[in-house]
Amino acid sequence: MPVLHSAPKIASNEGVLDALVAALGSKVVSAKEEHGEIVLTIARDEIENALRILRDDHEYQQMMEMAGVDYPSRPERFEVVYMLLSVTKNHRIMAKVTAAEHTPVPTITTLWPNAGWLEREVFDMYGVIFAGNKDLRRILTDYGFEGHPFRKDFPLTGYHELRYSEEDKRVVYEPVKLAQDLRQFDFMSPWEGADYILPGDEKAPEQPAPAAAAPTPKATEKPADTGAGDKANEKAADKESAPAPAKTEDGKAPEAPKETESRPDDTRSDKGDAK
Amino acid sequence: MSTLVNSAGQPLVPGGAITPPDQAFFKDLNQEVSDKGFLVTSTEELFQWARTGSLWWMTFGLACCAVEMIHVNMPRYDMERFGAAPRASPRQSDVMIVAGTLCNKMAPALRKVYDQMSEPKYVISMGSCANGGGYYHYSYSVVRGCDRIVPVDIYVPGCPPTAEALLYGIMQLQRKIRRVGTVER
Amino acid sequence: MSMQLEQSPTTGDEVITNYTINFGPQHPAAHGVLRMVMELDGEIIERIDPHVGLLHRGTEKLIEHKTYLQALPYFDRLDYCSPLGMEHSYVLAIEKLLNLEVPLRAQYLRVLFAELTRICNHMMNMGSHIMDIGAMTPNLWLFEIREDCLNFFERASGARMHSAWYRPGGVHQDVPLKLLTDIADWLDTRLPELFEDALSLVADNRIFKQRNVDIATVSKEDALAWGFSGPMIRGSGIAWDIRKAQPYDVYDRMDFEVPVGTSGDCYDRFMCRAEEVRQSARIMKQCLREMPEGPVASTDRKVVPPKRAEMKSSMESLIHHFKLYTEGFHVPAGEVYVATESPKGEFGVYLVSDGSNKPYRCKIRPTAFSHLQAMDFMSKGHMLPDATAILGAMDIVFGECDR
Repeated sequence: MPVLHSAPKIASNEGVLDALVAALGSKVVSAKEEHGEIVLTIARDEIENALRILRDDHEYQQMMEMAGVDYPSRPERFEVVYMLLSVTKNHRIMAKVTAAEHTPVPTITTLWPNAGWLEREVFDMYGVIFAGNKDLRRILTDYGFEGHPFRKDFPLTGYHELRYSEEDKRVVYEPVKLAQDLRQFDFMSPWEGADYILPGDEKAPEQPAPAAAAPTPKATEKPADTGAGDKANEKAADKESAPAPAKTEDGKAPEAPKETESRPDDTRSDKGDAK
Repeated sequence: MSTLVNSAGQPLVPGGAITPPDQAFFKDLNQEVSDKGFLVTSTEELFQWARTGSLWWMTFGLACCAVEMIHVNMPRYDMERFGAAPRASPRQSDVMIVAGTLCNKMAPALRKVYDQMSEPKYVISMGSCANGGGYYHYSYSVVRGCDRIVPVDIYVPGCPPTAEALLYGIMQLQRKIRRVGTVER
Repeated sequence: MSMQLEQSPTTGDEVITNYTINFGPQHPAAHGVLRMVMELDGEIIERIDPHVGLLHRGTEKLIEHKTYLQALPYFDRLDYCSPLGMEHSYVLAIEKLLNLEVPLRAQYLRVLFAELTRICNHMMNMGSHIMDIGAMTPNLWLFEIREDCLNFFERASGARMHSAWYRPGGVHQDVPLKLLTDIADWLDTRLPELFEDALSLVADNRIFKQRNVDIATVSKEDALAWGFSGPMIRGSGIAWDIRKAQPYDVYDRMDFEVPVGTSGDCYDRFMCRAEEVRQSARIMKQCLREMPEGPVASTDRKVVPPKRAEMKSSMESLIHHFKLYTEGFHVPAGEVYVATESPKGEFGVYLVSDGSNKPYRCKIRPTAFSHLQAMDFMSKGHMLPDATAILGAMDIVFGECDR
């Protein structure tokens, strides 16, 4: 496929994949080249050695970035991706390993000192453990945070929120209570492979028990929630307008904010308020 | 007091007019000072004058809004015209401008700074994030509005509010101080 | 006559312990919300443990819950000193996955505004660096330039700071001709005037040099090992600039030099930025000279929404518009890492798509993360007041560092 996009152009990938796979031998689990990116999947225990070979023998001097990804459906759900850059060859590759919650990944702080914080971040966000990292503390999340927020099963809004408590004279943590839930709309076209059965679709292969719908967003479910009803009707029928604002103690009505001075002469008044 | 006229001799409409200072008032004041050597006013007015005229603000730049907060101090907008000068120490400042997203990790520090400020103290919440979480409302690590942590006097909307908007917010705060006008706050 | 060494006052068996101070998180020289735990021996820094995450907003998680287009404005808010530089990486990553061609005028406009962003960012950084050292006046002049830049952004996109103007497939709207001519005038008159005036106050200033020369020297090897990029790696003498080495958009047509430092200290980093401003002005002038006519966004209606006028008469355009702003576009499955030369260094986006209308994972590579991490070894043995100079020359913004 011809390259149409204008993203950064690196040195040619031609032959690089084969050369690297040959050099790393059995350390490579799989290798692919897609979208112009070379991705090497490396056996977890060999990652440090493999990256050392890449750094020393293949001139990938810089480890620019380390990213965690979560695929909950896989047996080893996490991926740790290392982005390597060669300043001399002007080339980039990605190396990755898979990991589960309890399978530590060897640290690469021995190769690049900046891996320290990056590993801390992956640990903080996903809970991947790096064996040999001497400073594996949380880095981005709150002091005393529990859980690993970027896991797919961690809710976006989290579990705790903060409030200043006048009684305790300090900031307290409380369970999340939202005025309005996060609304996630499903805009996917029904004829592009939606995984639920459309209402009224009689040709659907089987009528399942009421489809386990996605957690419904907060809505006005009961008539009582709407604010409409007898009470509101009564109020609406009430001809009287609301009572005048209560007088304050000194007998003056609460002061309305004064008009802003910069307003030009009000020409709207003669156009008429109908009243 | 003279009325301003345009080139055709017509009086200018008040909307675009320049209000000249009240000459008679100044003359009277001047007279009084030179005659008696002192002025008489109510304590309330004196306090309001002092409070509105020198609002030193605590720089609490957290995120994007901090950049606009710096811009409002720079020559083009020059907030010091209104007596509002940046002060990086909570003990000496009167108003705290919370500019940017307040995150859970930062919230106790915000409260601590607020508690250190001396009375009377005011808070301006600048930008959507400080007002109510804004674009980051549903995040697990963001406080949904800094009014959950400190009492807020003025909310300035926008993402980020322009420098003019913050300037207007300061003027609104001065107006509010004048209206409340009590010794105790 | 030989020198008599003064006897240390603590020759007895008293033990002097180092003490630890807390810098930040609310400190005017911290450039945001940095907290540093410093271990000091007198006034000499022994160890620094920076605590970041005080502005951690969970951007990457939020992006996973938004469509590709809805996630774009998050990038403005990452590095709020150079918003368009952040968008650039993101739109290029999407275009790389889609393999989408961008019209030439759009590429020129992107480069033009990316360089304007660079000037804007450097004004902020150099100004605050100078101010942290103790000089006030240059900052006032540099901010006047910034104010002009923000006006240009406003005229192009409608927003002073958070433009959201780069879109997958091009830019959101074309710019008026008057804006281009005004930028050209500004480049010829106001920018050099204000900038060179401000710089002449500090570049050869004795105090400024004493505070910056030979402070936090970083060797080439260290710069590579710590993952430095941008002015930080160029200050150390490595001529690495992604615009030159791995050109994107129309940077391969641009004629510019890459400034390189010699000793790798704070002064070199500062002067690299100063020269970059002049080179950016040069690139912008070339963009304006060569600016081609044509569309400013791809005509692929499965990605780029149609013009509003078209929607009034064409049903198909209306449907496209509706679908793009509700469902969004689908991006083929795959993973890419796209890094561009943002004003602060290499800003990368690792984008994983599962073929749906939302990113499966979007990892943002902030420039500040690796730079700030090096704070410990860079400031070891320096005095406490040097910490602000080191921090100023790093150009840290916490929006992108903490995400």
